[in-house]
Amino acid sequence: MREVILTLTLMLVGCATSAIAGQTEYEKAMTGAKAAQKQAAAVGGEWRDVGKLIKDAEAAAAKKEYDTALKLAVEAKAQSELGYTQAISQRHAGFPTYVK
Amino acid sequence: MYRIQRIAAGLTLAAVSMSLLASPEDDLKVFQSFFHKRFPDVVNTEFGNGTYAIDPVGRANWEAIEEFPPYEPMIDEGRQMWKKPFANGKTYKDCLPSGPALGKDYPQWDKKGGRVVTLALALNECREANGEKALPYKKGKLASLLAFIAFESRGQVTDVKIPSEDPRALEAYAKGKQFYFARRGQLNFSCATCHLQNVGMRIRSEILSPALGQTTHWPVYRSKWGELGTLHRRFGGCNENVRAKAFEAQGEEYRDLEYFLTYMNNGQPLNGPAARK
Repeated sequence: MREVILTLTLMLVGCATSAIAGQTEYEKAMTGAKAAQKQAAAVGGEWRDVGKLIKDAEAAAAKKEYDTALKLAVEAKAQSELGYTQAISQRHAGFPTYVK
Repeated sequence: MYRIQRIAAGLTLAAVSMSLLASPEDDLKVFQSFFHKRFPDVVNTEFGNGTYAIDPVGRANWEAIEEFPPYEPMIDEGRQMWKKPFANGKTYKDCLPSGPALGKDYPQWDKKGGRVVTLALALNECREANGEKALPYKKGKLASLLAFIAFESRGQVTDVKIPSEDPRALEAYAKGKQFYFARRGQLNFSCATCHLQNVGMRIRSEILSPALGQTTHWPVYRSKWGELGTLHRRFGGCNENVRAKAFEAQGEEYRDLEYFLTYMNNGQPLNGPAARK
């Protein structure tokens, strides 16, 4: 009996720890996503869907669906970083050679 | 070997600098001659009809639509707005005395404010100066007012001026130019990708229209919208099509873009408002 109680207790603690870890990981990813979004927007490089990805991630987190929320936040961060890199690479865009 | 590399790097840098430092007049020649070479059979004054200058089937449908123009009621609404005094008794003409045929005068460089002023912005600033609320920039009443002004301006010729003595005007032009050629969004397209590089090609069922002539006919009644919309609404739509976040209508980005693109259309007759798919 004692062993059963101990096992159940450990399982519960494990679940709670995992949930907290998922939330922490999501929150960290979301902080990164928002910072990357801000950085991309500052150079006019934000992509269309980033705002929606962040909003959807926050909605999933509010429902404690941290796996989904994390996935969306990671996508938002990746898109923002690509948008930033793209904008920087295009800073000197001008007439392409095919026009001349 | 190192010396050759340095010389090559220097030449590349010089070429890039030359491209960036090209004068607006040089750019205009390059831009317009591209379309004249690409579509040698299209008469210069036809470019203002967009895709219908290069697509005979689409043109036949468009000509049928133009027999009963869907934008006519909006021209009438705009006419009423132009005539109707504000609450203080003044009208748009008090702010814009050469109106209503103002099409050729915009966009213009505002030396005092150090910014590009579009017609839409000038109209809203007139409203605000007379105690009226500014109107939304993408559609609705302001688009109707622009339609009336465009109608009254038909036959005028695009004649945007970039005062070379004001470096800020050249900077605004350069920003608009950079915007036009910069790839953006998840699809990594620039405005030029569609309207220069692939002009005349199909994107799904649509034919990509030439950039030459694209500023002559706004506002436009688009069948897709089912209503009248402004040039900045279209800019925003294009940006979202390539999955970039659209900028604010009448924000600096789109005003500079309008400045560059309209300048590239200098010499093109104004023929707004228009109907498009």
